[in-house]
Amino acid sequence: MTSDKTPTVPYRREKDQYRWSALGFIAPGVLLVAVLLYLPLLWTTFISLTDYNGLGDPEFIGFDNYAEMLDDPQFLSSVLNTLLWVGGTLLVPVGIGLGVALLTWNLKGGIWLRLPFLIPYAVSGIGVGVIWSFILGSGGALDQALGAFGVADTPRWLVDAPLNTVVMILATAWQGVGVNALLFTIGLQSIPREPLEAAKMDGANGFRLFRSILWPMLRPLTAVVVGLSIVASLKTFDIVQGMTKGGPGGASETLALTMYKETFVNSDYGLGSAIAVFLTVVTLVASILYLRQQLSSKNGV
Amino acid sequence: MRTRRIAAGLSAATAVSLLLAACGGGAEDDGATTGTLDFYTNKAAWEPDFEELNATSESGADITLDTTGYSDADQYDAFIRQSFRTDKSPGLFTWQTGPSLAELVDEGLIAETSDIWDKAVDEGWITEDMRDAYTFDGKQYCVPMNVAYWVMYYNKNIFEEQGLEEPTTWAELDAIAEQLSGEGITPYYQTSTLFTFPWFQQLVAGTDPELYNGLATGEVEYTDPRIVAIMETWRDQQEAGWFSDAGSTVDPAVGLKQGDYAMINFGSFFNGSLDGAGMVSGEDYDMFVIPAVNPALETTPVAVESGPLCVAENSSQKTLGLSYSEWWMSPDAQTAWSEARGDVAFNPQATVADPMLEELGTTVTGDGFERYDRYYEATPTPILTVALEQFGAFIANPGDPLPYLETIQAEADKYWADQE
Repeated sequence: MTSDKTPTVPYRREKDQYRWSALGFIAPGVLLVAVLLYLPLLWTTFISLTDYNGLGDPEFIGFDNYAEMLDDPQFLSSVLNTLLWVGGTLLVPVGIGLGVALLTWNLKGGIWLRLPFLIPYAVSGIGVGVIWSFILGSGGALDQALGAFGVADTPRWLVDAPLNTVVMILATAWQGVGVNALLFTIGLQSIPREPLEAAKMDGANGFRLFRSILWPMLRPLTAVVVGLSIVASLKTFDIVQGMTKGGPGGASETLALTMYKETFVNSDYGLGSAIAVFLTVVTLVASILYLRQQLSSKNGV
Repeated sequence: MRTRRIAAGLSAATAVSLLLAACGGGAEDDGATTGTLDFYTNKAAWEPDFEELNATSESGADITLDTTGYSDADQYDAFIRQSFRTDKSPGLFTWQTGPSLAELVDEGLIAETSDIWDKAVDEGWITEDMRDAYTFDGKQYCVPMNVAYWVMYYNKNIFEEQGLEEPTTWAELDAIAEQLSGEGITPYYQTSTLFTFPWFQQLVAGTDPELYNGLATGEVEYTDPRIVAIMETWRDQQEAGWFSDAGSTVDPAVGLKQGDYAMINFGSFFNGSLDGAGMVSGEDYDMFVIPAVNPALETTPVAVESGPLCVAENSSQKTLGLSYSEWWMSPDAQTAWSEARGDVAFNPQATVADPMLEELGTTVTGDGFERYDRYYEATPTPILTVALEQFGAFIANPGDPLPYLETIQAEADKYWADQE
């Protein structure tokens, strides 16, 4: 409490005078946050320690759900798929987004080159899933197009793992490149002119300019984009639900799908909540570690 | 200061949760027998059919349904489960028979319908054997909303071109599949998502109904050599190219129409989809009851799927819901329903609009046929979820069936151990 260091008597009295009305003013906000944010989190954590089928009363069973979760080979496969999503979405939508931004940011009319990438962003994830499943399904649009070029023996895009996860990441990229490109462009345009011009005077160009000047100066923005991408990919659900429903045989299931399946398909609310808690902890830890490291002052330019 | 704030926050949170908890617990039955009944269903696509039925129910029972349709089955399931904790539990809702209904009945959440059943059976509105799926501890709960028999639909044009007739034995069916695949026509439809079970169900029940029932009760293991042998037959048929591409996203009805495959094993509600795809019942498509795999069986097993209409025990509309349920069983209601929905009727006295469905209803309830519960309802949900996925994986990559069966059995072991 920094204010405690310089207490003055009249100040104290003034503060007390408004004390109760101040509480009244903040109460609705606090209550909303408590009911909508904290309570569900506490409730989910409590349910994860119980055996509960959505009827009757939850029965406390300690950490059994967590033990069952870690013991399930399907859970491990979901963790691996989720990691594939995290890596894949960093590589493809974020990587291509950066590429598009770099190639167009200081071009005249570059906006017209970036704009088309933004259009798919208007479609919801589940919509993207449905559209792409028509393209990638066996005998779908892609197979027919390849057939027209004489390629008859096409891969089974959505059936074989890990190919199905890879093509779904590409479908996500179709949607996500535009917004990443937009964010990176904003970052690039906010870099001050002087160091750029100085570097160019010194003869830095192309990759050298990018590596020594643009990339370090983009860092605060990269940290946010990558951080958001990690969080979004850890909870990947809609595209997979729309395209393969996690199948065949759970081969493309992500943690969010496993959580949904246990909770709403099997009505094992306890196990589903345990996965939810696990996912929350992983997401929090990943975000905190990553952002701490990236945004700390020692990485500044 | 800080700890005091946290304490205040926690006590506020506790107060709110207590308040929320106090809201739960159901409501008093208002005792009305006529009026508007709130009805919830996961068959959103059938909403117009229920609305159409209102004309008949208004004159017949003076009850109008106010239908809320959910198109996502899982979301619906969670909604209904949670509604029992509130004073808005539904006066009428659709559900599934089998373990999911047993779960609700065990918790005392469903209103008893034994009187309605007694009357309906006495009047000859329903056959006695339909009762089984609705009976728990000797009492009945819910009434059947619909009934569907799982049969083989076929593209009539393909059958005529190939000079094929409806088979009466399993050997004849195999011969048809062989001839079709020899001509470059895929015999059967299949999918690797959700509806992955029908062929397994058909092969197991058609070989030995007791073996099939044993799977549902946990007496037979999925790794039983007899099950493995059946899966191997299935795999050999897969390898012979008898099944359609599992990853296809073409609508099953459209696929049958375009001749992507000649036959499709589906419930008798599929007439509606085929009619919707522009095929004419009896002209472009027809159906036959699939013969038993084992010719030594005295009766031909036919999979039956029946979805219940239930009333919540603590609903404010309990009496109204039960009045509607009683009316629902009557021939008037079932004739109107069959007309609206284009489906078979469970009531033998009802008139069925489509002659093909009329004939199917009489055939399978007659001698020489034995009805068994569809795999989807007969299997406990956690085992079902794994089994549907594993069959899907097997369909996608037909090979040694044992690893798939072992995965299902592992879940079954866990489930049955929890039940003790």
